[in-house]
Amino acid sequence: MISRRDFLKTGSAAASLLGLSHAVEIRPDPSLVRARPSSAADVNIGLIGYGPRGREIASTLGRVPGARLVAICDSYPTMLRRAQRDIPEASRHGDYRELLNNADIQAVVVATPTHLHKDIVTDALEAGKNVYCEAPMASSIEDARAIASAARAVADELIFQVGQQNRSNPQHRSVFQFIRSGAIGRPAMARAQSHSRESWRRTSPNAQRVQAINWRLDPEVSLGLVGEYGIHQMDVAYWVLGALPVAVTGFGQIMAWEDGRQVPDTVQAVFEFPSGMHMMFDATLASSFDDVYEAYYGTDSTILFRDRGKAWMFKEVDAPMLGWEVYARKDKFYKETGIALLANATQLDAQNQDPTEDDPNVETPLWYALNEFMDNHEFGPYLPAADYQRGLEATAIAVVANKAIVQGTRLEIDPALYTLE
Amino acid sequence: MPLHGPEPVRLALHAMATRFELVMYGGGAADLRAAGEEALQEIRRLEAQLSSYLPNSEVSRINRAACRRPVPVSRRVFQLIQHAAALSAHTQGAFDITVAPLMRCWGFVKGKGHWPDSAALSRARTVTGMEHLVLHEKQGALSFRKAGMSIDLGGIGKGYAIDEAALILRECGVNCALLHGGTSTITTIGAPPGAGSWRVALPVPGKLADHQAPPLAVVDLKDEALSVSAPWGKAFEKDGQTCGHVIDPRTGFPAEGAEMAAVVHESATTADALSTALLVTKPEARARACQNFNKLRVLVAYGPKRVYADGITIHVPTQTIHHHV
Repeated sequence: MISRRDFLKTGSAAASLLGLSHAVEIRPDPSLVRARPSSAADVNIGLIGYGPRGREIASTLGRVPGARLVAICDSYPTMLRRAQRDIPEASRHGDYRELLNNADIQAVVVATPTHLHKDIVTDALEAGKNVYCEAPMASSIEDARAIASAARAVADELIFQVGQQNRSNPQHRSVFQFIRSGAIGRPAMARAQSHSRESWRRTSPNAQRVQAINWRLDPEVSLGLVGEYGIHQMDVAYWVLGALPVAVTGFGQIMAWEDGRQVPDTVQAVFEFPSGMHMMFDATLASSFDDVYEAYYGTDSTILFRDRGKAWMFKEVDAPMLGWEVYARKDKFYKETGIALLANATQLDAQNQDPTEDDPNVETPLWYALNEFMDNHEFGPYLPAADYQRGLEATAIAVVANKAIVQGTRLEIDPALYTLE
Repeated sequence: MPLHGPEPVRLALHAMATRFELVMYGGGAADLRAAGEEALQEIRRLEAQLSSYLPNSEVSRINRAACRRPVPVSRRVFQLIQHAAALSAHTQGAFDITVAPLMRCWGFVKGKGHWPDSAALSRARTVTGMEHLVLHEKQGALSFRKAGMSIDLGGIGKGYAIDEAALILRECGVNCALLHGGTSTITTIGAPPGAGSWRVALPVPGKLADHQAPPLAVVDLKDEALSVSAPWGKAFEKDGQTCGHVIDPRTGFPAEGAEMAAVVHESATTADALSTALLVTKPEARARACQNFNKLRVLVAYGPKRVYADGITIHVPTQTIHHHV
């Protein structure tokens, strides 16, 4: 895998000064991150699902002000032993209903396999718990609608937030404003990729458990790479472009892991937007080359997202001057060289941090999303940026795209899939 | 399902500025690989939390802000730092995660090292010591008593990551594996097919590059970890004396004496920390530093002719051997 840093090193030797596009790094305004009053009472949280994602959530919650993880649920005893070791003060449960019956728990975070979300989320809302549900919200349209309806019915009293975490990320919000203000000119096309080298298989000494944990390789319930990895990129795409896709053409192959699986390990999809613009998505488990990124190509410039929401702008030479690029940091991507912008450079300078260095206080998108969930407990309930409607839309995109990939065909996305009656 | 079979599955990962390699034996190659991927993924996750080189890591956040306010950390990082504090106490301060300012002062953080300015050295010494690190157990936060402090988990993080990865392998049903980070910290699960143990050779200090040279010792490992520390690599010369990159946190000067320390223990975390500690521990203080650990095996080479070993058989003839088995 070639990291950005490696690219930069290579680029500094290879770059020439002529005919290069300009990359501008875009940074968020720290004032977008609101501080919660320190007097805020802690929120007792139950975590349902203690696999790798659940553990990441548990670890992150430890650093989110106001969050207190008091109970952990997993149906597999080995994971509960792990929970006991990691968070000894949290109670442990094999059945999520025990968490829901605990009146001291105000909120639950759902990090189970996607196809198990529906029953857990609807039961949790019925039990009066605030819910953070990992993305994708569901693995079928029916489940997504059931969750969205349940969340809408109690939206005045309870918080329901989907783990479409980039919507809470100040980095993404900053670039969103930037693209919407027309800085790339007329959007012409977009592309997203998610490359890694991993089998996606999981194992256990318990045969029943093997079947359960390999849900991503079960064609009956898996949304495949476009659902499990692409969901976050497609979420950002329809957010910044301001329109939902109307059709998708897909292809899927098994190129690396011929172990009897049916779920493709390599996929391509082309999404069509109402303006006529297309977005290409590709993902593979065969190669980690060039990692994960998204690019939005416009007539004046291209914006590249990578490394958890960092962004750069590559200007066309004939694009209008924006002003600030004169002061921006220069980053190099092989033969492309450019100017980096720090939207909060003056604030960094005031804090005695080097305004040309990356902001070291940046948190992960998951942290910002969970922090926003905690904010909502203090100031809400209000509809979060990633509410049930966004969850429904993203699930619909993933379900239809996965179907197109599996069938190797073009499918229109019925606008009715995006809305609740 | 049982994992038995003759063909090994190998995986590797670049993390924590080193290369981790994993070899596993068993039946289903797909299952072994799945277990290995999950284990190595855990190492990558821990790197993001523990590395001093990543500006967004929890350790970097502590180092930036803990002199001004308690910095909340994730539960596991807090537990690891508690463990580091206990190891520091057990080794009479020979292992110390607050040694980072001294390392910087001696130029070992980003370079090959240099003789420090004496004022800078005395400043660095005043901010080194576990007594200046405050663990706020209730809040799960850390703070520094002195400005200019910083912590570095380099002497324990790799061992910890290896222990955590091995735990995942065991949970996944792997019963035969060897995992190492940069060849200096190794853990083992079971023994390879047809053998009673994994056999790891320790080189004669100074002859690391000479692959023809007979090893100083061969260590048998089964469900145990081995860590080897040496002041080789980063070093500079001053008045004919070699100054290596292992600094004694108590004196502020490079370790004198041991050329290599190897520790076998069930925990790679403990072995990692203790092998570093023994490099800066004088021979007469060694027994005290080791007394709090059960089932320890130790080899310390103080020079080509002076090797202490307890529980490890030395192969190369040396004139003065303190050999306790």
